[in-house]
Amino acid sequence: MKQMTEVQLQELEQDLNTIRDEVLADLGERDARYIRRVIRLHRALEVGGRVMMPFGFIPPVFVAATVSLGLSKIIENMEIGHNVMHGQYDWMNDPSLHSQTYEWDTACSSDSWRRTHNFEHHTYTNIIGKDRDYGYALLRLSDDEKWHPAHSLQFLNYILLSVFFQWGVSLHELEFERIRRGEIRLRDKLPFLKDFLRKGGRQAFKDYVFFPLITLPVAPIVLAGNLGANLMRNLWSSTVIFCGHFTQDAETFNAKDCENESKGHWYLRQLTGSSNFTGSKWVHLLSGHLSYQIEHHVFPDLPAHRYPEISDKVQAVCRKHGIGYNTGSFGHQYGTVVKRILTYSLPDRLRTKLIGQPT
Amino acid sequence: MLARNTQTNALHWLGKQLFNRNDPAAFFDPLLETLDPMLVQSQTPARVEQVIEETADTRTFVLKPAARWAGFQAGQHVNICVEINGVKHTRTFSLSSSPELWSTQGLVTLTIKRLPGGLVTNWLHDHLGQGQVLGLGEAFGDFLLPKTPQPVLFIAGGSGITPILSQLETMATRDFRAPVTLLYFVRTQRDVIAEERLKAIASRYSALTLNIIATNENDKPRYLKSQDLKAVPGLKARRVFLCGPKGLMDLANELLHQQGVREKDIHSTFFSSATPALNADLADQVLGGKVQFGKSNLEASSEGDASLLEIAEASGLKPRHGCRMGICHQCSCRKTSGTVINRLTGKASGSGEESVQLCISIPHGPVTIDV
Repeated sequence: MKQMTEVQLQELEQDLNTIRDEVLADLGERDARYIRRVIRLHRALEVGGRVMMPFGFIPPVFVAATVSLGLSKIIENMEIGHNVMHGQYDWMNDPSLHSQTYEWDTACSSDSWRRTHNFEHHTYTNIIGKDRDYGYALLRLSDDEKWHPAHSLQFLNYILLSVFFQWGVSLHELEFERIRRGEIRLRDKLPFLKDFLRKGGRQAFKDYVFFPLITLPVAPIVLAGNLGANLMRNLWSSTVIFCGHFTQDAETFNAKDCENESKGHWYLRQLTGSSNFTGSKWVHLLSGHLSYQIEHHVFPDLPAHRYPEISDKVQAVCRKHGIGYNTGSFGHQYGTVVKRILTYSLPDRLRTKLIGQPT
Repeated sequence: MLARNTQTNALHWLGKQLFNRNDPAAFFDPLLETLDPMLVQSQTPARVEQVIEETADTRTFVLKPAARWAGFQAGQHVNICVEINGVKHTRTFSLSSSPELWSTQGLVTLTIKRLPGGLVTNWLHDHLGQGQVLGLGEAFGDFLLPKTPQPVLFIAGGSGITPILSQLETMATRDFRAPVTLLYFVRTQRDVIAEERLKAIASRYSALTLNIIATNENDKPRYLKSQDLKAVPGLKARRVFLCGPKGLMDLANELLHQQGVREKDIHSTFFSSATPALNADLADQVLGGKVQFGKSNLEASSEGDASLLEIAEASGLKPRHGCRMGICHQCSCRKTSGTVINRLTGKASGSGEESVQLCISIPHGPVTIDV
């Protein structure tokens, strides 16, 4: 991690605060109009997908219905749910867009997400041992973790995690690895499990029981389409999220270095621990603007559609302070993620022989 | 009836499962709104049918609420919700029409005066026109007429006339058989709100004695005095209703007590003036205040720049929170009244109901929060 003095960190903090204050002062009707337009698009896609699905015995309609429902879930999870829960629209004082009461269309309960993602991940970003999002306690992605023979099959784990991503995310707070190590008891997690069953059950009931049943003669088609839509969302969101922190140059941190850190140090960690990818307007929308992961991590509660607008300013601040700004095409960034998962599945000796020492 | 209730309950339960929200009907609002804003389910929509100029700074908005609105009693108020520059604002106003107008024509009226520096009242005057739709809450408040006729004295000041207009109209329509006196204080004769309506009521409702007093027409202000009260026949037997600015209310209370009117016969309703937005530096502000934790039934006082979260924790409460630095919004909760200052921006919040982050909000005077 780049070493900066407290004075330099203070200057970094001020530079970034200036960008943030400019946006805050400008929040208003334009942002409200934007999120409402996205919500209308989501409603239209979901209603359209659900209505078309029973007619899925006509192949092109099946594809259209599945894609429509899949896109609706992607937009709701990424651009609406994730961002609303970060408090990006709390200033609108609209009860249906409030960070603490919003419930999203995925198996993970919003309460659990707010604890594990908003608090743990965004506060302790990429601190090994404290940010459980780093590898999801399932993948070894840096040599901070000792190699174990089981890691050699971790690419298979990665595929499974991506396919069942909503269930992986919803079980994240169970902290199964700590239960296995005997650090906590399953009993301590009963309230969480109850919440998981309620929300996960609700989602499974809706997509895999209710909608197929009310269209009984074509139930298998509706079930297949709903599975397809969920799969589409799972693969896409998992891919986007992996590109955010596990690319080649995304840094990791020691808990010791981050004790009692200043806001400036926290900013530095967000800048160097996150990575962006480039793409069209639609790629940004469908990724919930997590394609601007750096901007998102520095300013998690600014409306996400503002990230493209402030990106140049953030890059200028990075250049001024000599901090790297990790970005590249989607294909390139994802390629480095796959490479990281694969190379860290190897024992250290073999890995260093193949690709040399990590820099 | 029971069958229908079970049916709606089951439907509501199903809606919650399908749409992940406690108000499932509102799921379709974003689409319905584009068809017709009156179809919205998340709040009761009310369309502006007409805007009437009362005085230079007061207008009456005639509203047609959606039919599911539950109605009101004379003297009650409502919250209205409007969106200004992307932000929803809720404010309370008295209904100035009679319940009969609602039951016969489905209309209600709000009579609203511009408050100097007030964000919402000025916006209503400048932007709310015929055909626009705002959100209307259910009526509340206990500024209510006696159930059986008995002598009444109203003392109103300025726009404090609004709930009393509703009550007088109701009394006239229902032929409330008892002496009724209105002492209405206005700055100048030009500031009389709903003058024609008042005169029309007085002409068809003979029990009413109407006394409009201008306070600032001469060099020496002419405020409420004991002679005004002594001139009211049978004062001690009257129920007294007060609505107006604080100065008038305090004076009226004092004089009424002097005249021997019992506390239990005096009913007051307040209206507050807008607090202008404070943008000065944090250091210049007098910080702290009395904090009411609404849900916990607790009260605490603070001085200096302690945040609501710190005050809550010092009082033994454990509100949900996360980063304690204004990032994660885990601690966001509803402030129902009062002003807070954002520790990060130094800016003051509005005075109405809104969401605040406990860890970076410092009370600025009395505050009530849902903790």
